[in-house]
Amino acid sequence: MTLKKTLSNRFWLILLGVIVAGSALAAWLLLSRVPTGSIAAIYLDGELVERIDLAAVTESYTRTYTGKSGITDVVEVARGKIRVKEADCPDQVCVHQGWIETGVVPVVCLPNALVIQIEDGSAEPEIDGAVG
Amino acid sequence: MKQTKRLTLCALLTAIALTIFVAEAQIPPVVPVPGMKLGLANIVTVYAMFALGPGDTLMILLCRIFLGSLFAGGSTFLYSLAGGLLCYLSMLLFRKILTEKQLWVCGAIGAIFHNLGQMGAAILIARTPQLVLYLPVLLITGVIAGAFTGLGAQLLLARLGRRIP
Repeated sequence: MTLKKTLSNRFWLILLGVIVAGSALAAWLLLSRVPTGSIAAIYLDGELVERIDLAAVTESYTRTYTGKSGITDVVEVARGKIRVKEADCPDQVCVHQGWIETGVVPVVCLPNALVIQIEDGSAEPEIDGAVG
Repeated sequence: MKQTKRLTLCALLTAIALTIFVAEAQIPPVVPVPGMKLGLANIVTVYAMFALGPGDTLMILLCRIFLGSLFAGGSTFLYSLAGGLLCYLSMLLFRKILTEKQLWVCGAIGAIFHNLGQMGAAILIARTPQLVLYLPVLLITGVIAGAFTGLGAQLLLARLGRRIP
């Protein structure tokens, strides 16, 4: 137990401080390179189910997605932004996250394994974003 | 008699951890990042790790996670379990080199590994590697909150002592 003597509070404080500072730096770097795209990609159970060009949306509408878990998410799409409007999961984290407009953080509904991410590029022509 | 006393103490600690867990779940999320929370129930885990030892701590932790998911809705069970177990393993390792005055370090390290476990489970379940982008934000709050919950356990241990029945 010689280690007990050598690892002082100061050592741990510095180590943890470095971890926090490193995380802050990483978070800042991640936030500073924001994707500029307007394509919302919706993944359900890890598979891409839809790509919507948010810039081309003229009137807002909602879509309903039910994953393997049986949980249903109501996704609202509006011009330039997208959100989970309702979800019948117990924690409601995705609903509280509200609208997203940029690709900084995806909307994630973990119980349903639903992920909405804003990406660069264009929507595939065969998937029509204008379906009301 | 000793065994009964020990069992009672474990049951009591489980009940306390569960109460804290359920109460904390009622606090609305300040920042909408999944998995971000204070982790106050960790006070009991850290305390038990040093006061009772690894075996009893594992029992308390597993009971708390299982019962907690029943009370708070089952969807978070796998994430809590993955985080809780990884956190437990890290504490198992670090308790060897930490003194009784360094439980706050144990809390912070436990929080880091809890976040890693949670994140790993979330990435596997949602099959979305991009979730790892949340990790830096989770770590910042996790380390700070973990240090304070660990400090709570440290003060508790100083007041109560190692009451191994």
